[in-house]
Amino acid sequence: MPSFDIQAFLDQFLYDPKYPLLFNNGFFVFFFALFIGLYYRFRNHFKLRQYIFCFFSLYFFYKASGVFVVFVILSAIVDYVLSNAIFRQQDRRKKKLLLICSIVFNLGLLFYFKYTNFFIDTINNLFSAGFNPLNILLPVGISFYTFENLSYTIDVYRGHFEPARRFSDYLLFLSFFPKLVMGPIVRAHDFVPQINKPYIITENDFAKGFYLIFSGLFKKLIISDYITLNYVNYIFDDPSRYTGLENLFAVYGYAVIIYCDFSGYSDTAIGIAKWLGFSIPINFKSPYQGKNITVFWRRWHISLSSWLRDYLYIPLGGNKKGSFGTWFFSAVFFGGLFFAFIKRFHLSLFISLCITAATLVLFMLPAIIKKEKGGITTNLNLLTTMLLGGLWHGASWNFIIWGVLHGMALAIHKIWMLLTGKAFEKANTNWFYTAIAVLITFHFVCFCWVFFKCTTLEDASNMLYQITYNFSFSVWGAFFDNYWPVLAMIVVAFMLHAIPDDYADKLIDRFKKVPMPVYIALFFVFVVVYGYFKSSEPVMPIYLQF
Amino acid sequence: MNSNRRVLQFVAGSFSFYLLISIAGTLLGFQWIPFKRVNLISDVMTGDSSHQIMDKPDSNLLIIEDLPDKNFELYKKGRIITSFSSDTSLPSLNNFLQKLAELKTGKKRKIRIAYFGDSMIEGDLLTQTVRKLLQQTFGGSGVGFVPITSQVSKFRQSVIHNYSGGWQDENFNNGKTGRLYFSGHLFRSNGNWVQMIDQTITDSAAIIEKSLICGNGGSVSITVNEYPVSINAPGMLNRIPLVNDMFRGIKLSVANENLPVYGISFESAFGIFVDNFSFRGITGIEFARIDSAFMRAIAANNPYDLIVFQYGVNLLFRPNNRNFNWYGKAMLPVVRKIKNCFDKTDFLIVSTADRAFRYGGEYKSAVGIDSLIKIQATVAYETGSAFYNQFASMGGTNSIVDWAKRTPSLAGRDYVHPNHRGAEVLGAYLYEAIINEYKKYIRTRK
Repeated sequence: MPSFDIQAFLDQFLYDPKYPLLFNNGFFVFFFALFIGLYYRFRNHFKLRQYIFCFFSLYFFYKASGVFVVFVILSAIVDYVLSNAIFRQQDRRKKKLLLICSIVFNLGLLFYFKYTNFFIDTINNLFSAGFNPLNILLPVGISFYTFENLSYTIDVYRGHFEPARRFSDYLLFLSFFPKLVMGPIVRAHDFVPQINKPYIITENDFAKGFYLIFSGLFKKLIISDYITLNYVNYIFDDPSRYTGLENLFAVYGYAVIIYCDFSGYSDTAIGIAKWLGFSIPINFKSPYQGKNITVFWRRWHISLSSWLRDYLYIPLGGNKKGSFGTWFFSAVFFGGLFFAFIKRFHLSLFISLCITAATLVLFMLPAIIKKEKGGITTNLNLLTTMLLGGLWHGASWNFIIWGVLHGMALAIHKIWMLLTGKAFEKANTNWFYTAIAVLITFHFVCFCWVFFKCTTLEDASNMLYQITYNFSFSVWGAFFDNYWPVLAMIVVAFMLHAIPDDYADKLIDRFKKVPMPVYIALFFVFVVVYGYFKSSEPVMPIYLQF
Repeated sequence: MNSNRRVLQFVAGSFSFYLLISIAGTLLGFQWIPFKRVNLISDVMTGDSSHQIMDKPDSNLLIIEDLPDKNFELYKKGRIITSFSSDTSLPSLNNFLQKLAELKTGKKRKIRIAYFGDSMIEGDLLTQTVRKLLQQTFGGSGVGFVPITSQVSKFRQSVIHNYSGGWQDENFNNGKTGRLYFSGHLFRSNGNWVQMIDQTITDSAAIIEKSLICGNGGSVSITVNEYPVSINAPGMLNRIPLVNDMFRGIKLSVANENLPVYGISFESAFGIFVDNFSFRGITGIEFARIDSAFMRAIAANNPYDLIVFQYGVNLLFRPNNRNFNWYGKAMLPVVRKIKNCFDKTDFLIVSTADRAFRYGGEYKSAVGIDSLIKIQATVAYETGSAFYNQFASMGGTNSIVDWAKRTPSLAGRDYVHPNHRGAEVLGAYLYEAIINEYKKYIRTRK
C-alpha cells in the first residue's frame, strides 16, 4: 500500500538542482493553483496582491535556480535606486555618470557569469596562456533580466518615462515569474503601469490566454521535447557518424525545436500574464513564413530584436551615422575575419586580404548604388548589432558566426532590394515567387542554425560536409521506418506553424463563450497526451550507413 | 463584463479534479502508464506497487568449471585485466608481456595488436589512445591497418582518408566469401584510387613502411604514388611492402578486379602497433564465417601477438533483454576457432561498456547488462582468454548517464557511445591495466 512520505513532501519546497522548477513539474500545478487562489481573493487590495505576486515570483526563482535569486533582488535594488537618482538629477553630466554606473553594473553581472570563461579561453588560445577556467554556473534568466534592467534605466535617462515609485513595482516587473526562464523581454514602460490596475479581463482574454498557454505548452513539452530526445540529440552529438540525409533532417528538426521551445515558452508566459490582467506583446509571428531575412527578423523573438534595435542599433548611429562602437566592432570583425582565413583556413595573406576586402565592399554596395555615404554606417551598425546579438545567445564563436551570417544576409537582402526592387514589384505578389522566397529564407536560417546548435566549429563543418558529400539517398527507406514518429511530429509542427497568425483569434471570436467543463476537458486531454509522450517507448538511433 | 472569475473557476476546477484522480489512482493502484507518469502526488508517495514485466535471467547459465586456483568472480572488478587466477599477483597475457619486455629492453621486433569491436571503437576511438600510449612507452610509429574505404573516414581523426567512389565492397552484411579480413571487408577495384595520410606520427624522422594487405591475385600491376608497380601476391593473405620512407601518406590505384584488397598498413620497422577493426552493429559472432585456412594465412603472414574482442552493446538492443545464454553458446566456438588458428597469440575479451535505456521516463543502465557481462566473462574463462570489465572500469551502473550529463560530456545522448573524450578516458584506463600486468610480469620474472 503506498504511503505518504513526509520527508519527500518537505523536500519538495526546497530547490533541487536536479529538478529545477519548470511549467511541467507537478509542483508547479500546486504552486499555480495556490497563487491564483490568493491573487483572486485579494484582487482588490492592490498592495497586498502585489506583495503576494512578488513573493510567489521570487519563490519561483528560488525553486528554479537556488541562491541565484539574490541577484534578481540585488539588481532590482541597484537599478531602482539608480533610476530614481537619474530621474531627479538635473545636471546632464551627473545624469550620464549614473547611467554609466547602471550599464557597468548590469553588463558586469552578465559578463562575469556568461563570458568570463569564454574570454579566458580566447586569451589562452591567442597567447598560449595557461589561465584556468573558473567554475561559474549561469544563473537562470540572467540574460533576460539584465536586458530589462538596461532598457529601464536607459528609458528613464532618455526621459521616456518616470521611474517606478515603489520598489515593489520594480521588483515585480523584474521577477514576474511567467517570463523568468526564456522571456519575452518586457519593457518597464509597458508593464509597470499595468501593475496597479483593477484586475479585469474579458471573456476573449480568458479564451486567448487558455489558447496561448496550452498551445505553448504543447509546442514546448510535447513537440520540442519529443524531437530533441528521440532524434536531434543523437545526430548533433556526433554528426560525422551519420549520413547527410540524417544530418539534414536533424537540422530541420532543430529548426522546429528552437522555434517550439522559444515561442512555446513565450506564448505560455504571455497567456499566463493575460489571465492575470497583464498584456505583453506577442514574441513570435510564424517566423518561418517570412519570405526574406528582414521579414524573418521582424517575426522572430520580436522582444529581443526590438530591444537590440532600440538600445544597440540606434545608439550606434542607426541608419543615420556611425559612432565609436560602429568603427570599433567593425574593425574587430574585419580583423578577425582576416586572421580567421589565415589561421583557421590556412589561406595565404593575399587571398585572405582579398576576401576580407570583398566582404567590406559588400557592406558598402548599397551606399555605392544609392550614392550616399550614410549607407555604409547603416550596414556596419547592422553587422555590429547582429554580431553582439549572436553573442548574447551564448558565449562561443559559433554564436558570433551565427550572428555575423545573419548580419551579412540582412546586408545582402538590402542590396538585392536595391537592385531588383522595381523590377520584381509584380513578382512579389506571385504565389510561386513567394513560395521560392520562403523556402530559400527558411534554408538559409536552417544553415545558420547548424552553427547555433553545434558545440564546436568542427562539428558544424562535419555536419555540412556530410550533407554535401555523404547524402546517401539510398538510406531513406530504413530512415523512414525507424524515425517515422519523429518525422510525423516535425510535420505536425510545420502544419501548426503554417496556420495563419489571426486564425486563432477568429476562432475564439466565433465561439464566444465556451462552457467551463469544455475547458477542463481540453486540459485533461492535454495532460494525457503529455503523459503519453512522456512515457512513450523512445525511438532509438540506428546507424544507416550499412 | 469581467471574466476574471473564469480563471479561478478553471484553475480550481481542473486542479481539484486532477488532484482527486491522482489520489484515487495512487490508492487504487491505477496502472495506466500515460496517467501514472503525470500523477500529481507520485513524488511524495512511497511503496509504489507497480512492477515491470521483464525477461527472467536464465537460471542455467553456461557451466563454469570450478578450477582449484581460479576465481571466476574476479570478472566483476574494473580497471584490471584478469585471467581469473586466484593469486592476483600473477600477470595475465604472459606471452604478450614477454614480448613487451623484449621490446623495452632493446630487441628490434614488432608487436601487433588486433583490436576487434563495434561502433564503440569506430573512427579509431579508444584504440588511437591505446596505440599512442603504448608507442610512447614501448616505441613504434604508425597507425597500423587502415581499410580501403570507410563510411566514417571523416569521423576518424588518426588518418586523412580519401578515395574514389567505385570500390566494390564485400562485407559482413552483403558478402558470402570466407575470406573477409578482420575488418569485415574485402575490396575490389577496376581503376579506383585511395589516399591515406597517417596523422599519428609524432617523430618526423621515423621511417614508415606502407604495406598492402591483400589476398591472392598472382602477379598484378598497381599504381603507387602515381608510379606503376608490379607486385606478386601468391598467398591467401599477403603483406606486401610498397614504400619505405619518411612520408606519412600513400596513394594507391588498383585496376584489376582479380586482386582482393583489404587495406594498407602503416608501421615503422619495429615497435608496437594497434590495428583497429571496427564494424558497426556486430556482436563478434560474424567471425564464424571467416575460413580457418584464411585465418591461418593471416597468422602466418601478418601475425598478431594480442587479439582483443570488444563487443556487447549491440546485444542490448531491447530495454528488457536479460537472456544472453544463446550469445555465450554462439561465441564460444568462434573464439575457440580463432584461437586455434592463432596458437601463439594471447586473447583478451573486453566486456560491453555501459548502455542506458529510458525506464519510466529516466535513463538508467540496461537491466540485462550484468547478465551479459557474466556471459562474456564466461566465454573468456572457458576459452582461457583474459578478461577486462569495461563496464566496471567506466564506473559501473548508470555511468553512461553520468558521462552524457557532464560538461564537457564524455558520451553521446544516445546513452550508448562514449564520445572522443570518453573514449580517451577508456583507452587510458585500458593502457594502465596493461601496464599494471606488465609491472607484475617484470616483478615475477626477477
